Amino acid sequence: MRVDYRIERPVALSASFEVEGFTVLLGASGEGKTLLLRAIAGLLPARGEPFDGLPPQQRAVGYLPQGHALFPHLNAWQNVAFALRGTDRRRQAVEWLERVGLAALAERRPAQLSGGQQQRVALARALARRPQLLLLDEPTSALDPATRDDVLAELIAEVHVAGIPALAVSHDPALAAVADRLVLMHDRRIVQAGTPMEVHARPASGAVARLLGLRNVFRGRLAGAAGAQRLLWPEAGVSLPVQTMLADGANVEWHVAPEAIVLHDAGMAPATAIAGSVELRQMSAQGRHVGLRCGQARLWASLPSGDVAAAVQLSLPPSAIRCWPA
Amino acid sequence: MSNALRPRLTTFAAALALLLLAAPFAGLAIATNWRHLGFAHGDGGAVAVSLGLSLVALLLIVALGTPLAWWLARHRVRGQWLIDALLLLSLLTPPLAMGLLLATMYGPYGPAGQLLERAGLLLTNSAPAFVMAQFYAALPYYVLAARAAFEGVPRELEQIALTLGHSPARSFFQVSLPLARLGLAAAVALAWVRALGEFGVVLIVAYYPQGIPVKLWVNLQDIGLSAVYPLLWVFFLVALPLPLALGLAVRRRLA
Repeated sequence: MRVDYRIERPVALSASFEVEGFTVLLGASGEGKTLLLRAIAGLLPARGEPFDGLPPQQRAVGYLPQGHALFPHLNAWQNVAFALRGTDRRRQAVEWLERVGLAALAERRPAQLSGGQQQRVALARALARRPQLLLLDEPTSALDPATRDDVLAELIAEVHVAGIPALAVSHDPALAAVADRLVLMHDRRIVQAGTPMEVHARPASGAVARLLGLRNVFRGRLAGAAGAQRLLWPEAGVSLPVQTMLADGANVEWHVAPEAIVLHDAGMAPATAIAGSVELRQMSAQGRHVGLRCGQARLWASLPSGDVAAAVQLSLPPSAIRCWPA
Repeated sequence: MSNALRPRLTTFAAALALLLLAAPFAGLAIATNWRHLGFAHGDGGAVAVSLGLSLVALLLIVALGTPLAWWLARHRVRGQWLIDALLLLSLLTPPLAMGLLLATMYGPYGPAGQLLERAGLLLTNSAPAFVMAQFYAALPYYVLAARAAFEGVPRELEQIALTLGHSPARSFFQVSLPLARLGLAAAVALAWVRALGEFGVVLIVAYYPQGIPVKLWVNLQDIGLSAVYPLLWVFFLVALPLPLALGLAVRRRLA
């Protein structure tokens, strides 16, 4: 489904992109992502397709706002039945709750449900509306980090089973990682779209790289001559050898993967190595990292094994540095 | 001041406030001649007038005040301060002055009064005049309390109801009204006591038919305090159950 919307107020914004399967619109806070969802749902004056000009009650959307917006005066099945008509509402509502694995909690009020359970009730309610498009606002924001991945997996599985295109807006790179399709928004316009693999393989800009959650995105300027180009990194007060197709003198944003950074053993560092001091050590399920202070900049590096001294020498391989025009 | 002393001081202040509130009624209990609790002629009629017409006034207040309160809670328009000023003005106007203003507008020589009289509606010393007086006395209280109740309903929930296929009217009845019900119950209770107890406005535009507040005044003038107290007890007996029950229901829900 193609979404093409233009909003004038409260901020000017236009967006045009395809929604396929579970599509995530990734953008920083304040980009107007929620406004876009509200515009599509008909809750904000805007022009665009689909549903142009229709009042909200005639738009076949299932809208899940941040915080889920369950009706506190109704229990779980009554919340779902709110989207249904006819005398058979209760049975249908319980069936929808069964689909999201919550039939046993049908009599509970929203306040008696966990964040993940509330989200599933809200999803059942939105699906019971039989929408043509699901709209999810920051679906990971109210979830417990310990259960987030499981709840997310169930949510996406449900969306796939329902066969309804879903548009989730978020600033959470973890959500982007599980999308069928990724749309990136920066400066209130769409800057890149594609599958997560495509976007991760070739982020279109430093802003996109930041949205994807990549560490070590900095500003710099290219200098030098062809074949011997250097990247001036003012924050660290150093210049690095690079290989780019960009013109000298260009202001750039650049990135180096933490895994690509070479930490030298004491006394083995080449003359071109940069000095850094260890600011913090990070141990997580994703591996071990160190936060290094290089001048004014913080650089993250992977730590494959062992430990590092408080002061280190490091190198950034030219082939691992990716530059974008700033 | 020590922490231990602070709660004790609060309790003392609260107890003092309660004592001050109770004092006039304790005086009433003491002053009432319980052995000779006689009623004046017409007291029964006054009770019927007060209850019956206050109920009509209350229905009108709820019917017209609720949409206004909701509209005020949900819309911001240019010149909003004028609406706020109008509500405050209605609250601020001394009851006697409000009675005079109503008489000026709706009385036999008033512009609206003459028109309505031609249509067969007499708004002086009549049942409709009584209802009108109570309506004007209690409406602003109801609107302000009901507006606060609607403002407490998250707008997002009303909007979600729309996205689930409900019309704005259905969304109002299924979401806004149930979620505001506690505040609305308090608003109804407030309007009821305000309407039933109104004296100043009623005195000017509807001396007849006599409701309890005016009859208390008449009894005092004609007979004396001995004729006031019994009717006052009846007044409490008939006026208190509705707001008391509503208040208790609200508090039970909140607990």
